[in-house]
Amino acid sequence: MTPEQIDLVQSSFERLGPQLPVMATRFYQELFRRDPALRSLFATDLTEQEARFAEKLAEIVRAIPRLDELLGHTRALGARHAGYGVRAADYQTVGNALLAALAAVLGDGFDGPTRQAWALAYNLMAETMLEGAASARPIGS
Amino acid sequence: MLARVTITAQRWPIVGRRPELETFERALGSGEFAGLVIHGRAGVGKTRLADECRQQAAAAGHPTERVTGSRTTALLPLGAVAGLLAGGLGRPDPDGNVDTVALFGQTRRALHERHGGRRLVTVADDVSLLDAASLALLGYLAAQGTIFMIATARTGEPVPDLVSGLWREGRLERVELADLSRTNLDTLLHLALGGPIEAGAAREFWEVTRGNPLYVREFVLDAMESGALVERSGVWHLEDHVPGTTRLLDLVEHRIGQLSAEARWVVELLALCEPLELGYLETAVPLEVLESLERAGLVTIAVADGEVRLAHPLHARVVRGAMPRSRARAVLLAQADRLEAASPAPGPAALRIATWRLDAGGRPDPAVLVRGAHLARYAHDFRVARRLMEAVPGEHLDGLGALLLGEALYELGVFDAAERILARGQQLPSSEQVALRLVVTRVKNAHWGLCRPEAALAINSEARAVITSRPLVEELDADEASVLMFSGHPQEALAVLERIKGTDRRTRTVRAIVGSVALATTGRTAEAVKVAEAGFTDHAALGDELAIAHPATHVINQVFALTEAGRLAEAGQLARAGADVVASQRVPIAQIWFAANLGRVATLQGRLATARRYYAEAAGLAEAHRFAGPRCLALSGLALALAMLGDGDAAAQALAARSTGPAFGFLAPEQQLADAWTAHASRRPADAAQLFRDAAAWAASTGHLTAESWLLHDLMRTSGEDTSARLRGLASDCDSPLVSARARHAVAAQARDARELAAAADGFEALQAMLLAAEAAAGAAEAFSRAGDQRAATAARRRSSSLAAACEGAATPGLFQAAAVEPLSGREREIVLLAASGMASKDIAERLFLSVRTVNNHLQHAYTKLGVSSRADLAEALGSAT
Repeated sequence: MTPEQIDLVQSSFERLGPQLPVMATRFYQELFRRDPALRSLFATDLTEQEARFAEKLAEIVRAIPRLDELLGHTRALGARHAGYGVRAADYQTVGNALLAALAAVLGDGFDGPTRQAWALAYNLMAETMLEGAASARPIGS
Repeated sequence: MLARVTITAQRWPIVGRRPELETFERALGSGEFAGLVIHGRAGVGKTRLADECRQQAAAAGHPTERVTGSRTTALLPLGAVAGLLAGGLGRPDPDGNVDTVALFGQTRRALHERHGGRRLVTVADDVSLLDAASLALLGYLAAQGTIFMIATARTGEPVPDLVSGLWREGRLERVELADLSRTNLDTLLHLALGGPIEAGAAREFWEVTRGNPLYVREFVLDAMESGALVERSGVWHLEDHVPGTTRLLDLVEHRIGQLSAEARWVVELLALCEPLELGYLETAVPLEVLESLERAGLVTIAVADGEVRLAHPLHARVVRGAMPRSRARAVLLAQADRLEAASPAPGPAALRIATWRLDAGGRPDPAVLVRGAHLARYAHDFRVARRLMEAVPGEHLDGLGALLLGEALYELGVFDAAERILARGQQLPSSEQVALRLVVTRVKNAHWGLCRPEAALAINSEARAVITSRPLVEELDADEASVLMFSGHPQEALAVLERIKGTDRRTRTVRAIVGSVALATTGRTAEAVKVAEAGFTDHAALGDELAIAHPATHVINQVFALTEAGRLAEAGQLARAGADVVASQRVPIAQIWFAANLGRVATLQGRLATARRYYAEAAGLAEAHRFAGPRCLALSGLALALAMLGDGDAAAQALAARSTGPAFGFLAPEQQLADAWTAHASRRPADAAQLFRDAAAWAASTGHLTAESWLLHDLMRTSGEDTSARLRGLASDCDSPLVSARARHAVAAQARDARELAAAADGFEALQAMLLAAEAAAGAAEAFSRAGDQRAATAARRRSSSLAAACEGAATPGLFQAAAVEPLSGREREIVLLAASGMASKDIAERLFLSVRTVNNHLQHAYTKLGVSSRADLAEALGSAT
């Protein structure tokens, strides 16, 4: 990422402000619309899940400039998710849902460069989480 | 930051390849797959992905192995997989058979034992550079479940047969790698550099590399080394434009050019002889040199076994390309000497030593070369077999060696050289078995390669002075029969075959190859089909032996026999299935024969455009692989199809092409169909009729009974000449319903018997001979019309048209009859055809030795019968009849 992209992610995230829970709710709506099968992985009441998601996202966005710390974190996160059988294609779906939720809440503020910056940031997280997941999962016979 | 960069160079991150890694996981875990093929352009990350798969498998407790194809290892069969071979190489018995089955089986058992039954996950990097025997072994081990193969192959390069064979059976998973997207490239940069990069630099990396991962890697490492890419306050900047160059190859050269002399020596040594043991390299250069190379991302050192390799195949290619030949030789020979001194016992090391010596143009152990040639021959890799045998010094060559070399030369189409070495081989010491095979191969070369059947028969006859034991003499008999059959003497061939008792399987197999064709040609078609079937069964049980035709030969014979038996649909089906198999195995001679037989079946079915396509394919393949005889046959078929499509010029061109090569005796009378029909399509009807008559007489004198029937029937079809008596005789001499149907048609046509002609049409249709059926129906229409039964005439005419619709543009005279309300006389038909082609009455008169007035009179009569008033309408009226 470029320093400008890091700024864009952080500043647009700050602009969410009190709207963050709205974005979290929107994110799960977008996610289940794209893949209804994912719904069964979560509890019926999503309130708690949404809060955890918002918190995690804020943590990650804050940590972006400190790569080592962040990557250690996302790798561990990926390893924890390995047990759920989450695949690369699912990460793609999650990424699209996230971009759609941000676009819905930020409106015109979510322009081309901001979108590209988020896409890259998300890809960085996804790649490291997948790497973490792969090293945690036994394969083959 | 330096510590992180070091880590980066040694373990470059992998980005955007998770779906492919998941595919690998699934394939390895399911047990259903024997391997994974990774396709992609150079530098796209095939090797990296393969190694990542290997690491994942190792982490999960799988034993793993890695083999790399290279120009050096490709020199000697099994050179690339020396590490997998448990024992030594197989040794041929005195009769020249290498027990490859035992060698492969022994390797499988040893690997199974060594790894406690777990599948050995084996990376085969760049399979297109592996030799055929190595591929055969890998394919075998993968199919047996002993290894799980991860093969990489460049997009656009042919995938070796064994790999594509497993692929077709659904035993291989496959991924196609593309360059990285911009987002993935930026992700890769971020992970590799460990921090943000300035926007201009990121854009430059994208513009130069377009997402090619190897390019990115080389670019980043080079820019770091040269100080162009630097970190300031946690952000990476590119100070300059890319130093030096923007081409990947130049970039690699630039990087290698920066190395110290010692480091360069290591890189060159690895490029020629990798992998090398860390232990050895440590004694040769200071450890720091190796460490600096590892830091620069140029070499990798495996922790598990201490094997040192170059980090990427491209590095090896660049280094080899830049090395003077003399220097490469010196390095290779020195390594060969070193390894030989360290491991004197024969075994896998012997193979590597021989490979290096060969690459250096030196003289390796002749015994290793001969064994290598056997293995190459087993894998049908005649190019390698030839090169290895040519490297054997003359004084080490025995009869068996000459046989190997001669056979390879024959297969490669170098017939003169094959004749020389095989003749010399007969003077060298050998067992009687090898002596026989020298004769058989030399005869085959003289007959099929040099197209000199008399010389072939002479070689066979001379050999009878030396080869006297019973089963071997029978093989000489079978061989003689083969030359006779395939030079146009089926009757004599059958007489020679009578002498063979066929007590052993091999003789029976060879007898069947000739017998089925000879029987079919002489009209004993039911027997012919049975003999071909039995021949295939015997051949399959025979195992792999020298100097015997490909097993597909029996299938080809069966196709031929079924065709002669009038079982056209079955023949076509079997031929298409066979063609698929041999196309995948790339056996050109078998591909040619299947294509030619498919052309023949299509011709008899009246599917003339299809016939033209198959014959053209057969002719093209035969030309490319220098099979002069089959080429002649295929061009004859092509001319025949073109002439029956009405294209006399194209047919004449095909015949002109045919005349540039030697004539081919096999089915020679039948090949004359092409000459006769071309004459006919070129408006030379009298020449055509004479060609048919002469060819039929030739067929009769040599015993080609089914061909004689075809020729006489076509004479009747084109000229109306009465050939019914002889056709009836042939129908009783042959058991083929096709021959009977022709006789019935001729008799009915002669008698102008409408009902019998309609019945003849039924008969042809039942055999799927649609063109003949259409012509017989047209004849029936004419006869009904003459008898005043216009209703039946119209129905028959309609039927003829609908049958003709299946004939893909056939333009034979028999179809034109349907256009006429009243039948045209033979003379009228002849003149109308010439006039319709645009010829003036004066020219027609000259051509047919008639007066212009007579020609015009005939034309007027024909106009009336056809219901047209001018030449212009004539073509249209004829056209509507087809």
